[in-house]
Parts: sequence; C-alpha cells; structure tokens
Amino acid sequence: MKRFSNLGRIAMVVLSINIIFAIISIFLPSSFYAEPCCDSFISPSLHHLLGSDDLGMDIFYQIVHGSLISLLIGISTAVISGIGGSLLGILAAYKGGKTDSIIMGVCDVLTALPHLPFIIVLSVFVGSGLNTIILVISLLSWVGPAKMIRAKVMMLKNEKFIVAAESYGGNFFYITFVHLLPQVFPMVSVSMFKIASHAIIAEASLSFLGLGDPTSKSWGLLLNHGISFPGIYFTDYWKWWITSPLIMLILLILALSFIARDFEMILNKKL
Amino acid sequence: MKRFIIVLFAILTINFLLPRLMPGDPFLTLSAEDGFTSVQYSEQEVQDLKEYYGLDKPIATQFIEYYANVLKGDFGRSIFYNESVNKILLRKLPWTIFIVLSSLLIGCIVGLSLGILSMINRNKNFDKVFYTLIITVSEIPSFLIGIAFLFIFAANLGWFPLSGGVSAFTEPSFSLAYIEDILSHAFLPIITMSIPSIGQFYILSRSSMITIISKDYMVTGKAKGLSKRRLNIFYILKNSLPPIISRVFLNIGHLFASSILVENVFAYPGIGTLMKESVLKRDYPMIQAIFLIIAMLVLLMNYLAEFINGKIDPRGSKYEKIQ
Repeated sequence: MKRFSNLGRIAMVVLSINIIFAIISIFLPSSFYAEPCCDSFISPSLHHLLGSDDLGMDIFYQIVHGSLISLLIGISTAVISGIGGSLLGILAAYKGGKTDSIIMGVCDVLTALPHLPFIIVLSVFVGSGLNTIILVISLLSWVGPAKMIRAKVMMLKNEKFIVAAESYGGNFFYITFVHLLPQVFPMVSVSMFKIASHAIIAEASLSFLGLGDPTSKSWGLLLNHGISFPGIYFTDYWKWWITSPLIMLILLILALSFIARDFEMILNKKL
Repeated sequence: MKRFIIVLFAILTINFLLPRLMPGDPFLTLSAEDGFTSVQYSEQEVQDLKEYYGLDKPIATQFIEYYANVLKGDFGRSIFYNESVNKILLRKLPWTIFIVLSSLLIGCIVGLSLGILSMINRNKNFDKVFYTLIITVSEIPSFLIGIAFLFIFAANLGWFPLSGGVSAFTEPSFSLAYIEDILSHAFLPIITMSIPSIGQFYILSRSSMITIISKDYMVTGKAKGLSKRRLNIFYILKNSLPPIISRVFLNIGHLFASSILVENVFAYPGIGTLMKESVLKRDYPMIQAIFLIIAMLVLLMNYLAEFINGKIDPRGSKYEKIQ
C-alpha cells in the first residue's frame, strides 16, 4: 500500500466501495432492485437515496446491484482470459513450430478485428446472457497476455533451470505449472486489471445499445433505460437517473486503470 | 502483406458464417406485426423469399456466391429496408466519415500542440498535473463522455440540438443556415470522439519528443551552435513525426469503431445507428456489410500505418531484416 501513488490510493478506495456494494448486493433480496418499491419518479430523499425510475424501482439499490454485475464481469473475464492467455502463450513459446504459428495467427486475426462491432455481432449470434457475454469478451481479450507471456517464455525456455528440469524428465505440464507460471504471474496480474476494465466497458457499451442481457440490471442497462425514457431531456430526473450509473462506471473504469498503472510501476522497479 | 491477406480471408469467413448461425429468423420478424409472433407470410412466400436471397441453397454454394458478390462490391438487398444495401450505405456513410475525419483532425492538431507545450514545460509542476489530467480523461470511454455532454450541453444548457444529423423538414442546400444546422448537430459527437484522440496524440507526441531531446545528436546540434528554431523543427519535430503519422491511420480505424456508440448516444444518422437497428431487426445483409466495411477499414488502416511507418522511417524495417 505504501508504494501506491495518491491516485492509486483513491482508486483502491473506489474499488473497495464497489466490492462492499457487491457483497451487500449478494445478501440483498432481489425484490429491492427488481421490484417496484414506491411511486414512479420520486426525487432523492433519505428513504430512497437516489429516487426511483419510471417503474418505481429504487435507483440506489439498482446501482448497488450493478456493482456486483460489473465486478462479476470484470473478474471472470480477467481470470478466464488471464489464465487462458498465459497457457496459450506458454504453449506457443515452449512448443514452437506449427503450434506457435497457429496460435500467433489466431492472435493476429483477433487483434485486427474491430472489437466492439465484433462483440455486437457475436453477442447476437450466441445470445446475450451474462455468461455468454463474459465468454465472448474473454475470447477477444486473451491475446494481450498471450503475446506478452510468449515473449517472456521465449527468453526463459533456454535458461539453465528449465533445461535441467527437462533433462530430469519434467514434462510440459510440470514445467509450465512449477517453473513458468510462477515466473510470469506478476506480468499477467497487471494485464488482468486492464482486461477487467475493458470487459466492464464492453458490457456497458453492449447494454447501453440495448443488446446486452435484458435481465442483468447492469449500469449500462440502467443508462439505456434512462435515455430511452421519452421525457428524460425535459425533466430533472436525469440528474439522479442518468448521472449515478454514469459516474459509477467512470469511477470504476478509472480506478482499475490507476491500479493497473501503479502495479506496473511497482513491477518495473522490481525488475 | 501475407499476414493481412490471411486476416482478410478470416474476416470474410467469419462474416459469412456468423449471421447464418444466429438465432432468429428475419422473415419471421419481417412478417410479424410489432409485438406479435403470428406469421403473416405464407409458407410459399417465405420459400420464395429464401430462394430470392439464395438461402435455400447448400451452405458451400452460398459461401462461393458470397465471395463472388463481395468481390463485385455487391452486398445484396437489405431484408428490413427492402432496398439495396449499397444505396443505404452510401446514404449513411458520409455522415460517419464526416464526424470521424473531423474528430481526427481536431484530435491530431490539439493533441500535437498540447504535446509540444507539455514538452517545453516538462519539468514544471503544472505540467505533471496536466499530464495526469489528460491521461485520466482519455481513459474514459467516449460514449460515457458523450452521455455527459448530451445532458449538460444539449438538454440542460440547450446550446446544441438533442439528436439527429439535421433539423427535421429542412431541405439540403448550400445556404449558410443549412451548413450551420449540420455543424451544430455534429459538434457534440465530434468533440466527444476527439477527446480520446487528443489524449492519444498528446501522450505519443510528448513521449517521443522527450526521448529525442535526450539523444546524442541533439547535443551535437546544440554544440554546433544551431539556432533554436532549427533544432526544434528539423531535429525534434521531424524525428518525432513517424510514430505520429502511423498513429493517424490507426486512429481512423479506432474512431470508426467508437463512432458506433457515439452515434447512438446522439442518434446521429451514420452507420453506427444503422448497425444497431439492423442487429435488432436481424437484417443479415445489412449487418454483414457494415461489419465487413468497418473490419476492412480497420485492417486497411493498420496496413497503411505499418507501410508508411516503414517508408518514412526505415530504421525499424532494416533492423528487422538484419535480425
């Protein structure tokens, strides 16, 4: 914690608030955010911190629940593509030859594709449930860690301790899990923060367009719902209805990127 | 070059396969009233439509025909709009190209000037604050900035129109009022999209100029007694340009992709809003054509960026050849 910059510390606070919201949301009965609580369009008050939307649902609890969804998407995408990407990167570098060129070829295609249009098209094709969105975003995000890890393992694989492990009969899995993964893990963890932030942005974009999971109640969907309400521009409702998910999204995205940057700096100092 | 052709082939294949694997039936959507799932087209009519679009043939034949048509530049007819896809695209593309190129121009000029200013003042405290500020703002996805702008400047302050590309019931003409109308509609989308570009150009130009300042030839230049202007223009600016020029091309690709969201925020009549509509309507030929155009544009820009970078800055490519 001491080595973090000031912005990094603020980012940690923002992330912690989101984690607390997510934990509260796990124990919150779904009637709090998915069922009408009161009249439509009530202004913020002590009872309803952020008022209610056109269906009379409490916006504050929807925001709290949105934290859970955003973190869920961020963490699972980061874990899936972080682990998958490092394994594929290790495989490419360690096996070399055809395996390497196939994996790198797929990487080239995936980096060349414009991500958002591809996610839009893919999400329609595989459905737009939360799980499929996570899978689709992971499918596009493993390239970064894979390329990074491949370069690192290329250097590592001729080191004496790997050669020694091979000569003692260590197979690919043994060498990967015992020798290579612990070496590359710090690098992967930095890129996992970035992937998490990209994943949250991608889900928010998709939901904002109205192409995401219609039942997930994420911040993006809240924005979509608010903006498509006909009278939103001519009333004061946007001040809490649109502003709150907007600010939550921006804060979480910024927090993740600041933490990633600080981690990167700490890592570079160590090396 | 070989790599780009492989990627192009992959994009075409993905583009062919995806809509055919999608759930949902365009003829069902087309033939049912809003909100009802009852079918109005008879079996025979659906059969005729499938025949017309070639959807009844084996998948391999469709695949070959698809390639042939794309090579001819023929994307077929839109299922929902019942009009040639090319015609719709020609109508919508100019709007998107207009905001993309304008935001590129603003992003490049403002970003570069800020980068130069920041390089000159690089050791001062306010530059550090400024640098952090720009990095922070450029991390925010543009459509979120767009929503904020929409509500602050258009809805609350009323400085700009809320949505669309031009006011309703205005006839296209070369009058001042018409041009003003178009510009006032395009202003917020352009500014929204140029903010991330400004950040990118700023960071890139600042860092590449700061690396150049510490190079040995700068010391030599100074020792030779060259004038400050000569040093600034021929030594610093000229040597920092190659990465900036290749970034211009990369940025066009990014801007096209991000215009999908920004256009939807402002209901701007470009291909972004068209794409969302066609996905909701399951309009296969339309989705395919838009995805293909954006993907090919991004690919072409990546290729140009690499090509031009190799041409104007031969250091990189020679180094690769030696290795």
